[in-house]
Amino acid sequence: MSEFDTQLDKYVTFKSGNEYFALKIEYVNEIIVYQEVTEIPESEDYIKGLINLRGKIIPVIDVRIRFKQEPIEYTDRTCIIVINVKDTVVGLIVEKIAEVVEIKQEDILPPPSATIGHEEKTQNKYVYGIGKVGENVKLLLDPDRLLKDEELNLLEQATEEENEEEGE
Amino acid sequence: MAEEFNTQGMLDIYLFENGQLLERLQEIVLEQKDDDCFDEDSINEIFRAMHTIKGSSGVMMFDEITRISHKLEDVFFYLRESKPDNVPHMELVEHVLQVVDFISSEMIKIQEGGQPDGDASDYVTALDEFLDTIKSGKGEKEKDIKENVYIAPEQFYIAPMATSASHFYKIYLTFQPDVQLANVHAYKTVYALKEIAEDLLHYPEDIISDESAAEEILENGFKILLQTQSSEADLRGIVQEGYELKKVDIYECSAKEFQQGFDSIGSEIRIDLESSVEEIEAKTDGGMMYIAPDVQMQPAKEPEKKTIAPGDFVIESKEPGRGKKLVKDKPKKQEKAALISVDVHKMDMLMDLIGELVIAESVVLQNQDLKVPGLRLDNFNKAAGQMTKISTDLQNVIMSMRMMPLTNTFQKMNRIVFDVSRKLGKEIEFEMVGEHTEVDKNIIEHISDPMMHLVRNSVDHGIEMPDERAAAGKTEKGKVTLSAKTESGKVWITVQDNGKGLNRQKILAKARKQGILDPYKMDNDYTDKEVYQFITLPGFSTNEKVTEYSGRGVGMDVVVSNLQSIGGSLEIESTPGKGSQMIMKIPLTLAIIDGIVMEVGKSSFVIETGVVKEFIGMRSDMMQSDPDGSEFVMIRGECYPVLRIGEWYQLSDYKSDLDNGMLVLIEVEKKPICLFVDRLVGKQEIVVKPIPDYIKRVKGLSGCTQLGDGSIALILDAAGLVE
Repeated sequence: MSEFDTQLDKYVTFKSGNEYFALKIEYVNEIIVYQEVTEIPESEDYIKGLINLRGKIIPVIDVRIRFKQEPIEYTDRTCIIVINVKDTVVGLIVEKIAEVVEIKQEDILPPPSATIGHEEKTQNKYVYGIGKVGENVKLLLDPDRLLKDEELNLLEQATEEENEEEGE
Repeated sequence: MAEEFNTQGMLDIYLFENGQLLERLQEIVLEQKDDDCFDEDSINEIFRAMHTIKGSSGVMMFDEITRISHKLEDVFFYLRESKPDNVPHMELVEHVLQVVDFISSEMIKIQEGGQPDGDASDYVTALDEFLDTIKSGKGEKEKDIKENVYIAPEQFYIAPMATSASHFYKIYLTFQPDVQLANVHAYKTVYALKEIAEDLLHYPEDIISDESAAEEILENGFKILLQTQSSEADLRGIVQEGYELKKVDIYECSAKEFQQGFDSIGSEIRIDLESSVEEIEAKTDGGMMYIAPDVQMQPAKEPEKKTIAPGDFVIESKEPGRGKKLVKDKPKKQEKAALISVDVHKMDMLMDLIGELVIAESVVLQNQDLKVPGLRLDNFNKAAGQMTKISTDLQNVIMSMRMMPLTNTFQKMNRIVFDVSRKLGKEIEFEMVGEHTEVDKNIIEHISDPMMHLVRNSVDHGIEMPDERAAAGKTEKGKVTLSAKTESGKVWITVQDNGKGLNRQKILAKARKQGILDPYKMDNDYTDKEVYQFITLPGFSTNEKVTEYSGRGVGMDVVVSNLQSIGGSLEIESTPGKGSQMIMKIPLTLAIIDGIVMEVGKSSFVIETGVVKEFIGMRSDMMQSDPDGSEFVMIRGECYPVLRIGEWYQLSDYKSDLDNGMLVLIEVEKKPICLFVDRLVGKQEIVVKPIPDYIKRVKGLSGCTQLGDGSIALILDAAGLVE
């Protein structure tokens, strides 16, 4: 069995607000306990700042704030999930790590397209599927979209284009 | 099987080895450019270098490089064999340099992933003509020199320096008769042996592109001459009999036999196959050649009997392989250090880890648990002291690993002086002082261009034409000195010439014309230093004629801005008629800065010590504010704007009470500003790390760092804050 096989269909789940979210385990580098975060001025509110991960300085973001949920006080149970998405290493501050679960491909449903409320709509931005685990439902997160700021991207693209024009 | 030889690996080795050869070549040529001709050693060395480049380029199938190096090799072959005494030396030097340039530029293309598509025809024709000239000048008697025939490329591997502990082996491989692609298998073996080899030759030489080699190997076996530190048992481990290999024979031999090379094997075969003993040997060994050591000397004694075979002209009892090492063996030449190239990321990782180690160490040694009264810690403290010493050493070593001597950069300047002075018809002596001074690798990359510019300027503008110099009572030969030294934590690189110096009047006139000067100030009000600084302004050039090299007024400003970007500066000194001196002062490293650590609220900030002018204890009555709300302080009658860091970055918990804070007066490019912070922590050497890309750029921050306790501090960018 290769490493990939053992990781297949495995998800790290964590609780944020009332929902459980799931991240593909291949993105997760490690899970560490919360440590003091150094604030970065003038950055997005969900970017909490920088932590020192054994000499490597990585940014951390607060998932609750990212999901536009009410921020909470950090406690002993607060964890940081260190994920690596396309060589960007970022820490996610989550309320509570739940467990590692297996979600089979056939148990994953597409996210509901109907928008019941405003809340649902904003979450869909990051959720690419819904996984059934027994009676419970886990929202499958797309880490790429979680990290990226769409507005910022548009801005970046615009400046890139500008630069290209200047270059000509 | 195909994936077993990594072509990228081969390409890397090719580029690395040939790059070194070319550098060495250029060094030799420039060293002897002023002599009447090359000495014999140099001719041999150039010849060998070209031969190696030709061989490896042939293997890599870079045809134009092969062609041009072959041509130059021809020329030097002729020089070596017939020793003509009427060679136009300067012309030869130029030809060699042209070839070096051509190959270097092609190699850059290869390095960047492109195809070496340059056309060497012009150079080849030029070399042909040159060869004809020297040949015709030499007359008839040399005609019998055999022409250096182009033959299939050989493979050479440049290997670590040999020591007396080296062993020499002859290895004979016999393949199963039905093996397909025996040459590929042979190559695999060569590739494996290369790891341990100090020198390695094999026959047939061309096992990559020559298809008939496979047959030859099957028929006659594959022969390897190996010089290595490893024992025979090690070799057996690497070369094992197996599926394809029917038989492996390893014989240890003497260095002398080794130096006979394959030539002896090749000729040996021709001679010895006739003897019955050998025939029997050959049969019993399944077509393998075994040459009895005692007969081996024979061909060396009668070289004229030899027919031209692949590699003959170079081996020709000339100690195969040894040639490449001659460079190192000569005591008068500078010793080339044994180097390995390491991925920079790995270095950074190591540096991070060592940083962590130091922090972890302080956590252990300062641990609260040790502070229990009455605890006897004598042994602990002794051990701790030892550990601290080791970790400090470790830190110093990793720092020094990032340092590189300026030698290579200086060598390049030598070339520039040579080229430019030749083109301009000036005679210039170039002197290098302190080229072994070490600086951070990043810095070297940044200063190479400015240095080149200054050197070019000195040659072009500084040094006068020979007749002018003679008229001024100076020696006709000008002199440019490039020197480097470390002083007060910075590296000073000086470009000095003994030319005409800067013309104060001319600069002032030009400055006045451009409206830089204050119209109410007299010329004499400007100090020399101020005047000379004008030439670093954009678009400022007093040279009437624009030459190929300089005079367009673009440059000095670029030099200065390049230097400033790495925290360096340029000082200009000049004495009319005696020459001028440009001093670049640059920091030793970019990775570590000396910083002042400050606290604002819960955050720590660091600012470079160099920009800090003064610390001032704050009193509320010093602060003034104008109606717009911008604040400033009066210090000794001078007025400075104030920036409250806490407010500026909207931090929480910072002190707004003026009486308890500190003011840090910083100044960048004559623009001062006061930073208002809560508390000063201290001065510390810090390792600069970039802020992760994920976070967008924050104005006034240039990076972050880790403090002694593992917490993170943000590095303030003084230039950004002043704006």
